[in-house]
Amino acid sequence: MSRAEKRAIWLLRCYPRAWRERYGAEFTELLLADIAERPRSWSRAFDVARSGAAARLGLGGGIHVGARLAVVVSAGSAFVVLGTAVWAQLAIGWQWSRPSAPATSAAIVAMSCLLAVLAALAAVGAVPVLWAIARRLDRHIAGPFALFLLGAVISVLGAWHFAGVWPGTGGHPWPHQQLLPGHVAALAWAGTLSVTSYWAHPGALLGFPPDELLWMAASPIALVAAVAGGARTIRRLDLSPRVLRFELVLARLACGAMTLFVAAVCCWIASGGTGPRNLFNAGSIDGVAVAAMTGALLIARRARADARAALTQ
Amino acid sequence: MAKRELAGPATLILSSLAEGAKHGWALTKDVEDFAGVRLAPGTLYEALNRLEGLGLIEALPSDDRRRPYRLTAAGASALGEHLARERRVVDVGLSRLSEKWGAA
Repeated sequence: MSRAEKRAIWLLRCYPRAWRERYGAEFTELLLADIAERPRSWSRAFDVARSGAAARLGLGGGIHVGARLAVVVSAGSAFVVLGTAVWAQLAIGWQWSRPSAPATSAAIVAMSCLLAVLAALAAVGAVPVLWAIARRLDRHIAGPFALFLLGAVISVLGAWHFAGVWPGTGGHPWPHQQLLPGHVAALAWAGTLSVTSYWAHPGALLGFPPDELLWMAASPIALVAAVAGGARTIRRLDLSPRVLRFELVLARLACGAMTLFVAAVCCWIASGGTGPRNLFNAGSIDGVAVAAMTGALLIARRARADARAALTQ
Repeated sequence: MAKRELAGPATLILSSLAEGAKHGWALTKDVEDFAGVRLAPGTLYEALNRLEGLGLIEALPSDDRRRPYRLTAAGASALGEHLARERRVVDVGLSRLSEKWGAA
């Protein structure tokens, strides 16, 4: 095998297997012709790496509506995890004392309602997907669905276990201060324990109980497994156009709710409502979370628009 | 047809295929000849994949590893509409340049 062929095959590995099976031979021929004319080209390597990454994320190339829906679900899940982490710290603060700034109160109430809306949309959207899985549970679907279930079960059981040390109650029964049922907030806090600025302060982390540290390290893996398994299941399901249209309507509503959620978080940060007792202070990690949530929202919106355009062809 | 579907390399590819079926390397050289733009391999196949998914082009059977693509009727129609829109913009721009700046 010549050096050019080795280089072409190496570049081809940037793409997912399905893409390689469809375009691999002809793309290799094109790469060989290009390499013959321009033996060394960083721009070619960069272009192939970028396009391969886009294909792996389901963002580039041909429009497979199911794949775009999977991108919407993945980006939406990332958004919800980050949003829940931001919201849970505010719910803890509310447990101890109500915010002194009205804008902060309004923002937290809005965030609570919007998370409930997102949870309801996810539940409604899951029904036809679960029905399709039940009707067509072959080996092709069973693998990723098992990964989803494993990640989801570990996430829920772990969160359930660690919710017992929820700092919102501090062991004190103060039901009058609750923004919402205490166990819901506790689960949200425990499930997103890994989203924290403590990672930047290893000294402080050493003071944490070992089992809690282990959960902080393991829970993101479980969440990623659940999201990856769910997304791959949706990609492989080959949902009917009717179901896809229904899911895209829900995705549109979800994108609207996510936009409002980001606005509510910005409202809280801009209101500067840190009090009382600095309970609602916005830290740098909240700024990072807003940026990441905005990125996830833009990816979800783009994927939904692409899927809708392809469905209306 | 969403306008952005024909943005960037898509117009160049469809314009090239309007002449007849071509494989990847022939497309690259033809676009380089008539537009002075070198489409990088990843960009070219990303666009081919998208255009094929939209039904604007189709792959033809081939005996060797280089697979040719050709324009479909939907692709010809979409390209015609897009170029007509672009021509209106070009005409207005040139006419205004000529009126205001005396150059075209």
